[in-house]
Amino acid sequence: MNAIPRTAPAAEARLLPWAPELTGDAAAPAPPPPPSRGGSPLAGLWLPLRLAWRQLRAERARLASAIAGVLFACVLVFMQLGFRSALFDSATALLAAMRADIFLMHPLTTVSFKPEMLPRIRASQAMALPEVQAAVPVYLAQATWRNPESGTRRAVQLVGFDTESGVMDFPGLAPLVETLKRPDTIAFDRRSRPEFGDVTRLLAERGPFEVQVGNRQMEIAGLVEIGPSFGADGNIVMSEVNFRRVVKERLPSQVDLVAIKLRPGADREAAMARLRALLPADVMVMSQPELVAHERNYWETATPIGFIFAFGSLMGLVVGMVIVYQILFSDIASHLREYATLKAIGYSNGFLRRAVLSAALILAVFGFLPGLALSTLLYDVVGKGTFLPLEMDLSRALSVFAMIFTMCGVAGLLAMRKLRDANPADMF
Amino acid sequence: MTTPVALRDVTYAYGTGDLARPVLRDVDLSVAPGEVVLLTGPSGSGKTTLLTLIGALRALQTGSATVLGQELAGATERQRTALRRRIGFIFQQHNLLGFLTARQNVAMALELDPATNERDRLARAGEMLAAVGLAEKCESRPDQLSGGQRQRVAVARALAGQPGLILADEPTAALDKQSGGDVVRLLRDLARRRGVPILMVTHDPRILDIADRIVAMEDGRILPATEAEPASAP
Ligand SMILES: Nc1ncnc2c1ncn2[C@@H]1O[C@H](COP(=O)(O)OP(=O)(O)O)[C@@H](O)[C@H]1O
Ligand SMILES: [Mg+2]
Repeated sequence: MNAIPRTAPAAEARLLPWAPELTGDAAAPAPPPPPSRGGSPLAGLWLPLRLAWRQLRAERARLASAIAGVLFACVLVFMQLGFRSALFDSATALLAAMRADIFLMHPLTTVSFKPEMLPRIRASQAMALPEVQAAVPVYLAQATWRNPESGTRRAVQLVGFDTESGVMDFPGLAPLVETLKRPDTIAFDRRSRPEFGDVTRLLAERGPFEVQVGNRQMEIAGLVEIGPSFGADGNIVMSEVNFRRVVKERLPSQVDLVAIKLRPGADREAAMARLRALLPADVMVMSQPELVAHERNYWETATPIGFIFAFGSLMGLVVGMVIVYQILFSDIASHLREYATLKAIGYSNGFLRRAVLSAALILAVFGFLPGLALSTLLYDVVGKGTFLPLEMDLSRALSVFAMIFTMCGVAGLLAMRKLRDANPADMF
Repeated sequence: MTTPVALRDVTYAYGTGDLARPVLRDVDLSVAPGEVVLLTGPSGSGKTTLLTLIGALRALQTGSATVLGQELAGATERQRTALRRRIGFIFQQHNLLGFLTARQNVAMALELDPATNERDRLARAGEMLAAVGLAEKCESRPDQLSGGQRQRVAVARALAGQPGLILADEPTAALDKQSGGDVVRLLRDLARRRGVPILMVTHDPRILDIADRIVAMEDGRILPATEAEPASAP
């Protein structure tokens, strides 16, 4: 039996130390303790991640197509979610622009463009509460609008209420209150679709001018800001008196909403509770956010819109997952020898699985970042083209990232099964 | 001192039931510390199968095998993986990772030890490459190296992890005679200096002189020692 030196001779000190314990020699001296600065506890995650990155990086074309796949899924999901929320936002644009403390609405009203009417007297009854400063009836109707430039006709949403009362405000309305007192004056929504004519420019060029609303000539006194919604592409705001001039058949005693202003310092929740106790069951008492949520709920639940966009997002994720799976799978398949070698020299299955999963997650991050940038750009371009309020926000970015991360993770878990084909026994 | 490799009555068959075909029969083999053993024999005699069993790349069926103190009969996958980390493998093909440099490939053998850090690993990999005469090729990828250079990187990788045993299966098969001879002599010298035993399968008559002992196999059996003589140096 060969004699084994227990300590390396000085002449060979620069050679790697031979560790006798590796031959199974129980009597061997204990090896020197490993340097404490080595071996981070995260090495088990970091090393497979780095291996995955080096492997991905080595094949640029494959990496690029994988990233393109993730990016595609990312943009698709962002657009679907963006459209969905933009449609819901715009569906509620009119109600969201109405700024008052409390609203009364008929409980059977499911959506504002087909309201159940409630008796006007409920407004006066609400005044019985000391904390209510004012309560005004709001009338909603649609009428035809003639484009002042081209003469074409289009349905426009009319909102009539006591504009002087200061109970309900629209962005931009305050400076127009005096003018709107005059007969046949209106405030036009500057964010109405362009089919209504470029009123903003005309107003700047010629000052107040007349347009045909219903059968009347009415003067545009100024602009408010509301935005188009599902029910209406354009809006005009006017006083209650002017509203009745346009919509002659409308009974003044039947109103669509009642807007309530509270005295300064009054507790809104308490006031709402007292109104509920005071008023009969034919009114629903809501704060403005509740009113908007009620409207949104109609679009989300009573229409297939929500489903359509959820389905579109899912399709994007499925396509992205298939692409990532394909790439990871062929990556493993073409490196089976290398993976088998790693197994042969002592790498565990867990390490290799972590490497595959890391590759998937690297693709998630590298596809998501340009996807986020591209989607932000598209939101801007498409938003301007369609007048939909498309805007990137943090919570949506985070949830899309979570989806993409999951998508790539699932693809990685599926691709991992291919690792079983890497058999170290076949290496010799 | 225990023997690095001790096999007793190892029998192995591929396939199951009626299809079972024994390729190893009652193999007894031991390798002493620091010993260089060459395994020869005709193709199909079971040399590779024997090597994969000793290397814990396959599960043992019958018999007993103790490798570096680990009993392989009934060993779990985890125990076999742990044992493989203490063995240096050299394959017929170099099997280096194509997307890593020579130094990174050698460092892969060191990353298995969680107590090392990156700087030490790269430094050790560099020393190992210098020891096989490739100090200048540290940052080259395998496709930038010749066949002999790649196999020397594989030798560096096998030795870097301070193995207790080297297993090699026809490491010269893909090389021309000159570089094949160079590689195995380099391997033998480096292993000798560290006292690491080598078990090497080879057909190559030119390298028989590196052996302390030659074991011949035929039809799944090891031939009696008298028929295998260590060749003297040319
Ligand atoms: N994975 C396998 N499955 C089935 N039979 C195999 C397998 N590997 C090798 N064999 C068979 O086992 C016998 C021994 O093969 P092997 O161990 O490779 O011999 P050697 O390396 O001496 O040429 C051969 O007849 C071969 O065909
Ligand atoms: Mg063979």
